[in-house]
Amino acid sequence: MTLAPSFLQQRLPLGDLLDLRAFSDVCQSFAELYRVGLKVFDEAGNKLVDVKVGNADFCGYIWTKASGREQCVATVGRVKSDDVGEAAAPTTVRCFSGCRYVVQPVLYEGDALGRVVFGPFVPEELAALPDTLTSIAPDFDVAQASGYMQKIRRVPQGTAEKILKHFMDLVDVMVFTGHKNLISARLHIEAVQESYRELQDKNRQLEESYAKLKELDRLKSNFLATMSHELRTPLTSVIGYSEMMLEGLGGPLTAEQREYLGIIMEKGENLLQLITSILDISKIEAGRVRLVLSDVDVAQLLKDAVATVLPIARKKGLKVACEPGAAPRLQGDREKLRQCLVNLASNAVKFTPAGGTLTVSAEALPGERVALKVTDTGIGIAEEHLPRLFDVFYQVDGSTTREYGGAGLGLAIVKSFADAHGGEVTVVSRPGVGSTFSLVLPSRPRTEPAVTPVMPSSPVG
Amino acid sequence: MVQLNNEAREIAVKVVYYGPALSGKTTNLQALYQKIDPAVRGRLMTLDTKDDRTLFFDMLPVFFRTASGLKVKLKLYTVPGQVIHESTRRIVLQGTDAIAFVADSRRSEAASTLAYWNNMLKNLEANGLDYRTLPIVIQLNKMDLPETRREGEFEDLRRVVQPPMVPAVAIRGEGVVETLWALLTVCYRSLDRNLGLETRWRISEQEFLSRIFDHVDKRGTSLAQEAAPR
Repeated sequence: MTLAPSFLQQRLPLGDLLDLRAFSDVCQSFAELYRVGLKVFDEAGNKLVDVKVGNADFCGYIWTKASGREQCVATVGRVKSDDVGEAAAPTTVRCFSGCRYVVQPVLYEGDALGRVVFGPFVPEELAALPDTLTSIAPDFDVAQASGYMQKIRRVPQGTAEKILKHFMDLVDVMVFTGHKNLISARLHIEAVQESYRELQDKNRQLEESYAKLKELDRLKSNFLATMSHELRTPLTSVIGYSEMMLEGLGGPLTAEQREYLGIIMEKGENLLQLITSILDISKIEAGRVRLVLSDVDVAQLLKDAVATVLPIARKKGLKVACEPGAAPRLQGDREKLRQCLVNLASNAVKFTPAGGTLTVSAEALPGERVALKVTDTGIGIAEEHLPRLFDVFYQVDGSTTREYGGAGLGLAIVKSFADAHGGEVTVVSRPGVGSTFSLVLPSRPRTEPAVTPVMPSSPVG
Repeated sequence: MVQLNNEAREIAVKVVYYGPALSGKTTNLQALYQKIDPAVRGRLMTLDTKDDRTLFFDMLPVFFRTASGLKVKLKLYTVPGQVIHESTRRIVLQGTDAIAFVADSRRSEAASTLAYWNNMLKNLEANGLDYRTLPIVIQLNKMDLPETRREGEFEDLRRVVQPPMVPAVAIRGEGVVETLWALLTVCYRSLDRNLGLETRWRISEQEFLSRIFDHVDKRGTSLAQEAAPR
């Protein structure tokens, strides 16, 4: 296994460790404070900082002479590239002009990252311009050169070395700080990239399982649609033949046989209803519900619904009231609205104990809306169950299935049909007091004769 | 894994202090920083958070040049005990040449120390390092506290590999130099096997160690006599 060398092991150029602009400012003020020039080179010999103090006229004059120019270039070359080793002590470079430089390597973690050149300065002991300078040209003006040299700081060698040492301490701190910040920043970047990679991985996993779940949900709906259709066909025959026998088409029946057939028929109808609900839900989930819009007589709608549940309500000993009120006009799918009301009313009957009251009413609301309400004095629904009440297969209490029966599809169907009409179904309930379900519909559905694209919020899987 | 730059005649050796949170890795480096002469070491770099726990790592560079002219650069790192980012550990572990495992010797820490140790072996492997050949030393830290295990009682850490063990009280600087000595001894042998330090570069084990430990304050350590003849 080979890995790219870590950036922790990389040797960094001096220029990357320092903020060059800020570093230049520091060098500038340092050079001005001591009135001596300062140059900083990196390991490769690139000049990072160059501050000249006082020597411009002097060196400029020497530069006017060909030999001076030549020797100046040589001196600068030595200052820049002479081996100064890795020692912490400064090296002195003597210029032919009598000036001097002190040079010290920038050492960091044992590596020489570059060098600092302090100078030129005039050594304290220099009495007169040396021959090496005055002889560079026959017309060399000693007086003028001496005058220019006055502008360069005169300083004892020892002091120059001390000043340089002081500066090196500063550079050391700056390089260390720069390195630390650099590493810190690199690590932060690395950490963020790592987190990002982890998140991407998680996202991909989530997307995959979401796609799988969606596919499963679709398969389930398909299965339900197919199965309920297949179940209905033989069941119709069971009911049909029972009916024929009851009508005496198969010959006379005894009272007992009639009673049994009655039960077969009734249970068959129940089963058919259940299967139809499943088919409805699977159609809804597959987005295959079509509304057949027409003008609906609200009063008649309420009466139909009440008539459907009346026999069982009576059997349970419930009072049933039908209050069409001002019977507002409504456009909608009559059959689906009837089914909504029947579902709500059946629930009311189911969950209301003997002696209770069930009221089916209608009311015009502002904004061209109509509310169809089913109110009972039943057991009510605790608040925590309300948000999921309209979910497919949801039942307030799993155990109530045993006591009250049902498949948990009724309300989901009501909600889907209400949605398809552009309306909504709401519930107000107090446990032990009763519930009111309101089906609020626009008087005219805004949609064209509509296909409902609305999916009920079904539990997945 | 060691980086050898033939042209520049230098090798870079990476030494990592590994161990559970609060076992004393940073304390080790701080003690070494105090005891090693600035002539052969750089500054101690600590990338920590405000509450003084190591976030990324600490790093202490130590360097010297041998008589044969080879420059040796050792970098001592700590891996944070609580790794917030797995990537930090990977960056630090990558290319490790030697490991000091700093264990909290208290009995109460035995289970978590073992878990951490096993986790380290797994991590090393995941980072492409073979712990069977990697130089490892275990430091038995915090020996001054009550209810600590004695030296023979750490066999649970020695099932797969049998690294040397060094008792220590890093907070008082005890055993810290000895740990580094033991670690660099096994480290030298491993480097010698891989690079031929002795034959190719003419660096003996004694020179390798003395280049550093001649610059270490050995007062009060068991090395006070050992390193004397030179």
